[in-house]
Amino acid sequence: MATSTPVSIPIPSSRPALSWQERVQRFLLRDSTLGYLFLFPALLIVLGLVAYPFVNAVLMTFQEKTAGAPGRFIGLANYRELLANPVFWQTVWNMLVYTGLGVGLKFCIGLSMALVLNQERFCNNLFRSFLLIPWAIPTLISALNWRWIYDDASGLINNVLVRFNLIEETISWLSDPNLAMFSVIAVVVWQGTPFFTMAFLAGLQAIPRELYEAAEIDGASILQQFWYITIARLRPIFITAVMLSTIWTSSGIQFVYILTNGGPADRTQIFPMLSFTYALGGAQRLGMGATVSLFFFPVLVIFIFFLTRRMLRERGEE
Amino acid sequence: MTLSMTTSRRLVKGVGNVLLLLMLLWTAIPFYWMVATSLKPSKEIYGYEATLIPQNPTLANYATILWDTPYMLFLRNSVTVAVASTLLSIIAATLGAYAIARLNFPGRALMARGLVVTYLVPGSLLFIPLFALFSSLRLTDSLTGLTLAYLGADVPFCTWLLLGYFRSVPVELEEAALVDGCNRISALIRIVLPLALPAIVVVIFFSFTRAWNEFLYAHVFTSTNQARTITTGLANFMNEDVFFWGPLMASTIISAILPVAMFLILQRGVVQGLTLGGVKG
Repeated sequence: MATSTPVSIPIPSSRPALSWQERVQRFLLRDSTLGYLFLFPALLIVLGLVAYPFVNAVLMTFQEKTAGAPGRFIGLANYRELLANPVFWQTVWNMLVYTGLGVGLKFCIGLSMALVLNQERFCNNLFRSFLLIPWAIPTLISALNWRWIYDDASGLINNVLVRFNLIEETISWLSDPNLAMFSVIAVVVWQGTPFFTMAFLAGLQAIPRELYEAAEIDGASILQQFWYITIARLRPIFITAVMLSTIWTSSGIQFVYILTNGGPADRTQIFPMLSFTYALGGAQRLGMGATVSLFFFPVLVIFIFFLTRRMLRERGEE
Repeated sequence: MTLSMTTSRRLVKGVGNVLLLLMLLWTAIPFYWMVATSLKPSKEIYGYEATLIPQNPTLANYATILWDTPYMLFLRNSVTVAVASTLLSIIAATLGAYAIARLNFPGRALMARGLVVTYLVPGSLLFIPLFALFSSLRLTDSLTGLTLAYLGADVPFCTWLLLGYFRSVPVELEEAALVDGCNRISALIRIVLPLALPAIVVVIFFSFTRAWNEFLYAHVFTSTNQARTITTGLANFMNEDVFFWGPLMASTIISAILPVAMFLILQRGVVQGLTLGGVKG
């Protein structure tokens, strides 16, 4: 990457007194003026649509607030109510299972697929493109499609199982309390695996062939090569991909919203869904909704903090 | 006895082929079900006469979703919001990225950091305060409000992506242009932008598909069909208990074509952008 020493505009110094137009023009074209001018739209958007709402969300957690009406300060009442609610603790547990299992499976399958697609094979590019499609489809569309696949009476799975006499009665994939979470996670994995595949495959292709050739001359087995070259080289990408995916998986509402709505009996309730339900489900308790989101924020902060550092370091911005 | 190099290589290849086949099936079956359902008459969709392969394929479901529902309106809203947020975020991101990459002023390092942080803050943390803000500004149920909401995520990401590309454009080219009497603005337009064109295309992909695919904001900020985009419109069909899976599957196929086509064309660039330029492929 080229170093980017900022250049200053060379201005001939011998020129006599300037007219005011020239002076204005010069002021406007100065690095610092122009810099702030250029950054203004982006800054306005970041401050107005991310920073301000965020601060507002923090303030809302101390308020009893509904949409369109001013909030009433109630101190820590929202927090107390939430902590006393068994649904909240159920949700914390669900989050761990949902995110942990979801990201873990996506990682394992994604890595296997990246390794497989990195082998030489007839039509490999075609397979690669095809395997990435679930990621490109709008998430909500995938969720709808899977809801129909899981359908009790006429969905694909029950249809096939009944047709071939594998089951007597249809299985309620999304409303059986013991199955629902796993059914949802399967969809999360289906949709999110390609992201890992793409990231890991790009990493694999960046490993120089000479490393393997040298290892082979030194008598390293395939397993040794895999562990000491492939995995070692991919480690930075592992960390970045896992952190990004954790943020996205844990904050995505669409699968749970479409497939189960948090049910049955809150067995698939996750923070974004709970927050949505408080804020927009009937009573419109925005304060409670914000409180739920914020409980979940410290975990995200850790990821965001480390990811930001990595991004900046990789780019040499620090 | 340890396996010889060729044997273990062949073994790895064989396992790879099996895994690939399984994965292709796992990926393809939901697509198959989507397409098959969309082509069936309802008799073959529900009940004991349900089929796995459409016996009498028909395009009736497509006609239903396009002409008998507000789907076309959702489609138009999605296009409007996606195009508007893409255009606006490209303008804001190009200027911002150029400023951080090339101009020397206090605070630019802080801006670079702020961009990454704001990009990573997920929508599910912001939708409640944004909903309150838009309610008080009367921006709910409007395409303007939705476009603005998308800019909040688009601009930081696009600026960050473009920043990386701008940095890789040799600064000498611009220096030469500046000596030849170009000012910063014309240098940006005539030298940097043409060189960063591949990056701009990737940025277009990300902004456009984000708006096209986004659900939470669209669902929370709209309450009538006038402002509903595809995602929230389809979700709403379900909430209203209008379970008509044939037309619904037809609509999901129509809705997925555009982002999938864009993705397949731009694959390489997308992969690099995905990890915020963290993967050098």
